[in-house]
Amino acid sequence: MFDRWMDNSMSKSPWIFHINAGSCNGCDIELVSVLTPRYDAERLGFRLTGTPRQADIVVVSGPITLQTRDRLVRTLAQVPEPYVVVSLGSCPRSGNVFKGSYSIDGPLEKWTHVDVSVGGCTPKPEAIVAALAKAAELLAEKRKEMRR
Amino acid sequence: MDAIGTLLWNLFYLLVFPGLLFSVAVGLLLAGLDRKLVARMQRRVGPPLLQPWYDFLKCCGKETIIPRHAKRAIYLAAPVVGFVALLTVSLFLPVMGFTAFSTVADLVVILYLLTLTSAAMIVGAAASGSPFAGVGLSREMVSILSYELPLVLIILAVGRVAGESVGGVTFSLAVIGEYQAANGPLITHWSLIPAALAMLFVIPCEIGMHPFDVAEAETEICEGTLAEYSGPPLALFRLTHAVKMYTMTALFCALFLGGLTTGLPVLDAVILVALCAVLTFVTMSLPHAVCARFKVEQVFKFYWTVVAGLAALSLILVWLGL
Amino acid sequence: MLPYLKQALGNLFRAPSTEAFPKGEPPAAAPGYRGRLVYHPDRCINCGLCLRVCAPQCMERTVEKLENGDQRVTFTFDMTSCTFCGMCADFCTQHSITLSEDYMIVGTQPEDFLVTGTFIKKAPPPRPKLTPEQIAAQKAKVEAAKRAKEAAAKAAAEGAKADG
Repeated sequence: MFDRWMDNSMSKSPWIFHINAGSCNGCDIELVSVLTPRYDAERLGFRLTGTPRQADIVVVSGPITLQTRDRLVRTLAQVPEPYVVVSLGSCPRSGNVFKGSYSIDGPLEKWTHVDVSVGGCTPKPEAIVAALAKAAELLAEKRKEMRR
Repeated sequence: MDAIGTLLWNLFYLLVFPGLLFSVAVGLLLAGLDRKLVARMQRRVGPPLLQPWYDFLKCCGKETIIPRHAKRAIYLAAPVVGFVALLTVSLFLPVMGFTAFSTVADLVVILYLLTLTSAAMIVGAAASGSPFAGVGLSREMVSILSYELPLVLIILAVGRVAGESVGGVTFSLAVIGEYQAANGPLITHWSLIPAALAMLFVIPCEIGMHPFDVAEAETEICEGTLAEYSGPPLALFRLTHAVKMYTMTALFCALFLGGLTTGLPVLDAVILVALCAVLTFVTMSLPHAVCARFKVEQVFKFYWTVVAGLAALSLILVWLGL
Repeated sequence: MLPYLKQALGNLFRAPSTEAFPKGEPPAAAPGYRGRLVYHPDRCINCGLCLRVCAPQCMERTVEKLENGDQRVTFTFDMTSCTFCGMCADFCTQHSITLSEDYMIVGTQPEDFLVTGTFIKKAPPPRPKLTPEQIAAQKAKVEAAKRAKEAAAKAAAEGAKADG
């Protein structure tokens, strides 16, 4: 019974950890605006944590620059299972306008699994909320798979 | 037969009524209420009332990572020690008219156990071997220093007033309760009003709620003392945090609003929970919604001047027999 | 701090200002919002200007030769690579690329983000075959026209001389 409770609460209390992998700050601002009174992601249980050890959803924004690459991989290795990676905006999946730059080592798929992506430059907060809600559902599924 | 009966009653006290089940349930409820109220004051919808319960369950279901530099045994034992110490506190607290265990000097025990809870967090943070936790634990120590002095002054003042009948200062919650039953709640005693105000300030700092959460500043020092914790130990720390909300508000009720009893333990419990909810709103939700986080030295200065001043004023008035 | 306190307490009795979004329909975007790209292959003339102006190079053109000489042209736009600058739409002479107001670009698979369109570019019609006589007649016709033009020019020049 306790296991079932844990499964159910997995999608109700996802905590977000945000990694800026060389982003232009546009997506970062939009992610913070998701927690403001107008969009209020906290009513779905979301909470921004300060440490990867407590994260359930890792949100990555920005093309993966050479400087952030090692830190990104190291941070993702510290997140306890089960966790979901969300790529925010166009940059992590393709490099966007920085594509082909000497200082970019993307896309994000090269370094980790990407479960949910949001397109847009930058995405609207509504799209981010929708993506996070989808990520929370995936989280519950992952937990069930992990238990099996 | 009698011994077995006493044992069973003690187990019931320990696990169900003022102990584990009741305090955890009320603590989680208060924590949920606090988050909801803060959200409503910021014109948000806010999380459901059961959100802390979901958080707790979710943390239980996560993987526990033990850092390479951590001292494994201490790292895992610290949250358990802290939680058990806090549960022991809840056994001594009277639920209005009803007390599970009563001793001659239970206030001193409560004082030590509350410090032990904070100390367990410090030890756990120190054992995790993270620099962020190091900064967090030094801040936690400063905040313990800040609120401990006013708290002791408040307890001395209350003990002095209630201890008139037994001669001198009393540290027994039972005597304080009897005094209040006879003479009305202590908050109506005008020389104790500054002490009650000081106690209202001590509550959020003791719990580590928002404007005073210097030790867990998630935006500055990555959750501070909890930086390396994940999984069930983190869940236990969160639960300790929630239960502390119940313990501290109930302690306020015992010190200043005690003695009122309806005779029925169930009804008493309901009244206590209602009082705790009101206190939670006044002492935690309101400052959270209105203030930004203080700096460490601001917290220290504020508690050692304003709050300690209020408590000392009360103590002097009481000692002069006013 | 007092005005904040008043505001906070007042807010307790006001309705929250939160959008109901994840439960209902997503609200409409502001007018002029540049969202998901829409491609109309029936209008496209395959000029390739969009490919030249796209800064993040999010489009791809594949040309496939068919048996009858026609070409099947496929444009693929990757929405996880687009910056939504709108340059392609501005430069498209036939308005075959437009930016819609759909901002909900969320998905789990790479295919969720692709906008594609295909059209068939007809080969030009084959040249008509002419017999040698027809060619000769055509040439004679052109020659005659040329001579008539020269004669007219000469006559005009002489007329001008006589007048002068």
